[in-house]
Amino acid sequence: MVRYVGKRLFYTLLLMLFVSLTVYFIFDLLPSDPARLGCVKGCPDSTVELNRIKLGLDVPVIEQWWRFILGLFQGRSYGTGDATFSCPAPALGYSWNRHACVTDVIKETFPVTLSLALGALFMWLALGVSLGILAARKKGKWQDKASTVFVLVGTSLPTFITGIMVVLFIVLQFNVVDPLEIGIWHSPFTDPVGWLQTFFFPCATLALAYAATYTRFTRSNVIEISQEDYIRTARAKGLSEKVILRKHTLRAAIAPIVTMAGMDFAALFGGAVITESIFSLNGLGKLSIKAVTETFDLPIIVATTLIASSFVVIMNLLVDIAYAYIDPRVRTK
Amino acid sequence: MSNFLEVQNLSVSFPTHDGLVKASNDVSFNVALGETLAIVGESGSGKSVSNLAVMGLHNPNSTVISGQAFLNLESGPIDVISAPAESVRKLRGKEMAMIFQDPMSALHPFYTVGDQIAEAWLLHNDGKKTDAIARATEMLNLVGIPDAHKRVNEFPHQFSGGMRQRVMIAMALVNNPSLLIADEPTTALDVTVQAQILQLLGKLQKELNMAIILITHDLGVVAEVADRVAVMYGGRIVEEGKVDDIFYNSAHPYTRGLLNSIPRVDKVGSHRLHAIPGQPPSLIALPKGCSFAARCEYKRFTQGSICNESVPALTVGTNGHSARCHLTPAQVVQHSLEIGTGA
Amino acid sequence: MSFNKMTKGIFASISATALVAGITLVGAAAPANAATPTTGGTLYYYSHQEQWAAMDPSLMYTGRDMVWASAHIFRNLTSFKPAPGKAGTTLIPDLATNTGVPSNKAKTWKFTLRPGVTWEDGSAITCADLKYGMSRNFAQELFEGGPYYAVSWLDIPEEDDGSSAYKGPYVKTGQAAYDKAVTCSADNRTITYNLKRSVPDFNYFTTYPASGPIKKSADTGEAYGMKPLSSGPYKIDKYEINGTMELSRNTKWKKSSDPIRTPYPDKITVRFGLSEDVRDEISMKDTQKNGVNLDGLQLNNNITFFTNQNAVDKARSINTDDPFTGYLAANTSPGHLDCVQVRKAVFFAYPTAEIIKANGGTKFYGTPGDNPVKPSMGIDYIKTKGNIHDPNYKIEGNPTYAKKLLEEAKTACPEAYDRATNPEKGLKYYRADTSGNKTMAVIVEEALKKAGFVIETVYKPSGTYNTELKNYKKETDFLGSGWASDWPNASTVLPELLGEGCCNYTFNKTTKEYPAFKKILDKALVELDRNKQAKLWQQASQYAMDQYWYIFTVFNKSQEVWGSKVGGVFYWDLGSLAFGNMYVKK
Repeated sequence: MVRYVGKRLFYTLLLMLFVSLTVYFIFDLLPSDPARLGCVKGCPDSTVELNRIKLGLDVPVIEQWWRFILGLFQGRSYGTGDATFSCPAPALGYSWNRHACVTDVIKETFPVTLSLALGALFMWLALGVSLGILAARKKGKWQDKASTVFVLVGTSLPTFITGIMVVLFIVLQFNVVDPLEIGIWHSPFTDPVGWLQTFFFPCATLALAYAATYTRFTRSNVIEISQEDYIRTARAKGLSEKVILRKHTLRAAIAPIVTMAGMDFAALFGGAVITESIFSLNGLGKLSIKAVTETFDLPIIVATTLIASSFVVIMNLLVDIAYAYIDPRVRTK
Repeated sequence: MSNFLEVQNLSVSFPTHDGLVKASNDVSFNVALGETLAIVGESGSGKSVSNLAVMGLHNPNSTVISGQAFLNLESGPIDVISAPAESVRKLRGKEMAMIFQDPMSALHPFYTVGDQIAEAWLLHNDGKKTDAIARATEMLNLVGIPDAHKRVNEFPHQFSGGMRQRVMIAMALVNNPSLLIADEPTTALDVTVQAQILQLLGKLQKELNMAIILITHDLGVVAEVADRVAVMYGGRIVEEGKVDDIFYNSAHPYTRGLLNSIPRVDKVGSHRLHAIPGQPPSLIALPKGCSFAARCEYKRFTQGSICNESVPALTVGTNGHSARCHLTPAQVVQHSLEIGTGA
Repeated sequence: MSFNKMTKGIFASISATALVAGITLVGAAAPANAATPTTGGTLYYYSHQEQWAAMDPSLMYTGRDMVWASAHIFRNLTSFKPAPGKAGTTLIPDLATNTGVPSNKAKTWKFTLRPGVTWEDGSAITCADLKYGMSRNFAQELFEGGPYYAVSWLDIPEEDDGSSAYKGPYVKTGQAAYDKAVTCSADNRTITYNLKRSVPDFNYFTTYPASGPIKKSADTGEAYGMKPLSSGPYKIDKYEINGTMELSRNTKWKKSSDPIRTPYPDKITVRFGLSEDVRDEISMKDTQKNGVNLDGLQLNNNITFFTNQNAVDKARSINTDDPFTGYLAANTSPGHLDCVQVRKAVFFAYPTAEIIKANGGTKFYGTPGDNPVKPSMGIDYIKTKGNIHDPNYKIEGNPTYAKKLLEEAKTACPEAYDRATNPEKGLKYYRADTSGNKTMAVIVEEALKKAGFVIETVYKPSGTYNTELKNYKKETDFLGSGWASDWPNASTVLPELLGEGCCNYTFNKTTKEYPAFKKILDKALVELDRNKQAKLWQQASQYAMDQYWYIFTVFNKSQEVWGSKVGGVFYWDLGSLAFGNMYVKK
């Protein structure tokens, strides 16, 4: 097992190197010129050049990338003369737009997205799976029909509609938080109430759409598994329906749900742009969108892309491990 | 030998959109401790359905069951058809157990065989997990699985088909049930393994003194292990008796037809397999008369259209050999010679 | 109509003589509400933006940001009188004892610091700080994008590529040249600036934080803007992008050294990064009663909020002329709209009413303009003759008259006429491919076609539009843009937009009318008599309008909203709410 994990991690590292290189190349191919962006009064070419040097875009792409890789281990320096400053290792670059080392910007935004993703994950699993089980158990009855309505509504309402409605008609209307406190970060360790106030509604909004999908999926999964022969065997052994559901049916139904949840979770790291924007959260999604569409902040783009892709890869690995733990048939290699 | 299980007039129907499916109709049979009753018939003849009803494994919301099935326990007889579901559940796995056809899918893939057997034991016994696993190991030994103490911690997919069926048997018998219902236990296995399993069942029956109901469509299996045989067709029992009587003295056209359709190694020259012409009846729309009438070669020997008019009763003959036919057993034997399909 | 990146800002009407010599204008700020201001409480500001455009003085170029910063943390040599209306554009001394002493035909300027001006750490503000602050503008490797005046005007030689020989205080190349151009007196209290040419409005540039003092020992370089040292009545406790900026009282600031500022609130908090819908909802529903919306509302919310207002909402909002002008420049270079008759025809065919309507209407967007200079600029503005005041002008466009003009062009400039009407040639209008632009393109095309023009809109990707502009502007026949003067003098409008300045999209240098125009501009730029100067600007404006270098001009409006418990709010003609005047009502 250890060797297996070790091997996977090694490949992950290789993949990250490749991803970072790709980001640099793509950025280089973009038609707009970031060096010219700050220019208001049609700056002289010498200034544009200075800008280019400042942004590190004056050297070939490969060298830009190599400097980035070195920076991860050695740190990086910027500026000239008395105004030199540096970012300590692991340096992901410097964001001129935010006047901060990218590593620090990530340190700031990552917990926000993590809170959003974890909270939403917990909510949609709790709601989706339990509702799905209920619907499966009460197949055909009103509980099942009600869950179908929920699924329809949840999957057809996009987050930007539910989000705006929640913000305007619940959060602001009922003064859930002070209006200017919306989306402000509070650490869950030092200020759990504040953290909850900030994250409850965004997590719920995000979770709603997922919960609907998971309800439908869990329901069909449970129904399908209930028809399996080994469930009949369990019943023949004399086990009660409750025990059968809990120990036999659910244990089997969980496996694909775990896989789905892992991948959905990973996608939120950089993907929950709409929710983060509507709820004014200072997260990775908002950060990366701004960097790509407005500020062309290459160091930020590289960092957020790497984080997003490494999360996907790592979650892939974790899901595989979890699946192997649940389903022994997958194990022996 | 006293009867452990007495099934009387058991009928199982399934209400569907298209109508009431009468899967089994007025079925009665008994089985005693130490005895093996084989229930034979084609798919859809009602053999599994009736036995599932005895085990209480039908979905109460979608099944209509009438009749009685008495388990003659030490504490007294109990009718599992009318008893509350919870009491029946307590009997499952303890007094009566069932094993099924496909051992590949009948075991939970995520738990070790030891855990699954232990679970069955812990349900009806107080004890710790370690005791249960020990008992499971014992059972695995009993059913002839080598290296039982190691294999008890393995998963079903690590066993071959035959081994898995042994595991199923171990799990079914871990609490020493008095009745084992084996629903086509060897159908999915190859012939050599089949023989081993049957042998095992026979051995265990002697050791544990249990009643066995063996459901099968394979007459060869019946000949091997059965003490008595019940033949079912169209949801009814059409013939019942000791195994020799059934094989050598069958009193029902359907049974005769079945026996004749077995390929024989000792037949001289080549001749075509004799199949019974026609299809089994629809269980939703059972004919008014005998359900085998449409395919019966003996019908011409009866009076008028009595076969199509009324369902024959199950008449009991000598030695407890009964048959459901408008012809008497003697007549059947006689006409069989005429048809030229002698036993 | 697309606007270029708007980082200029401020300042509208003038109160004449403040330019020359040192009349310290006394007078308390006169807020619109006559109630007595209350001291204390926390005043909030909130915005959709993630941060101020810049809080580093050397980078600050947005009007709103500069007004805000000047009110709270950055004192400069000179400032403007905090008052509504024309009075608010009066130049007054701030850190200096007067509004500056020019000499040598305004090629040299001297300022003396008041006594008692201090930093938040208690140390005195000195001439060395002023000198250092100004020198930082030359560090173009870090501060390119900020105001360019210091680099343009200070008497330091240039290199061949147009950049200054002085490379800033971090690299120190050319430091000697800088030290000669900017000198301090022996007592470190008087600073002298030596300029390349006469700059009569230099003391307007000294209202800019870019010209203000910076303490060298406190300078952290690139990230200084995240925690600058304050010279004003408040200091920065915290500044988080997409979070909050929190100010509390600077106990070292002395009222006796500062006749301008009235810091009533105890604390000030700015919230950044709100979604636009949340920001608007808070403003419209008055959920944050002691908060001020820094951005204004989205257009549809503007329309909802400003229509049929009740008394409370009316009292906490304003719809006013702002310092911005929008215009559509004609490319007058050969091969394009190089004929005045053709341009005039376009002017009269242009569907002004519909374009304004598409942008929000005259109530919210603006009114047709008759001058590149806005009326709120005061004496530099004149109601020009002709253009929108021509009896043939119709606000919805006059295709009949335009057709007639086009006919005249046939004989006057047949080549240009052919280009504009020949189906195989035709006029080209390069636009970014946004949906808003597409709507307006259709309106413009239809109107011009009615007058007999052949016109095609060429759509370009909006993502790269700004960076590709340097190419597009040569190929297009029309280019829309916007502008606001840096301060109340047309010197920051006409030369920039229609002269040799940064943002002239008309290519009028290629026309034969240009030299005469340029002569007027050059004369006005060095005219020391303010009234004479104003007359010259008026002359130049009329000249430009007669040439129809602009096909369309609009005087923009802006709408602001604040909470009902914020008192002392008025609109400063500099171009934003008067931030330093506000207080929290009890």
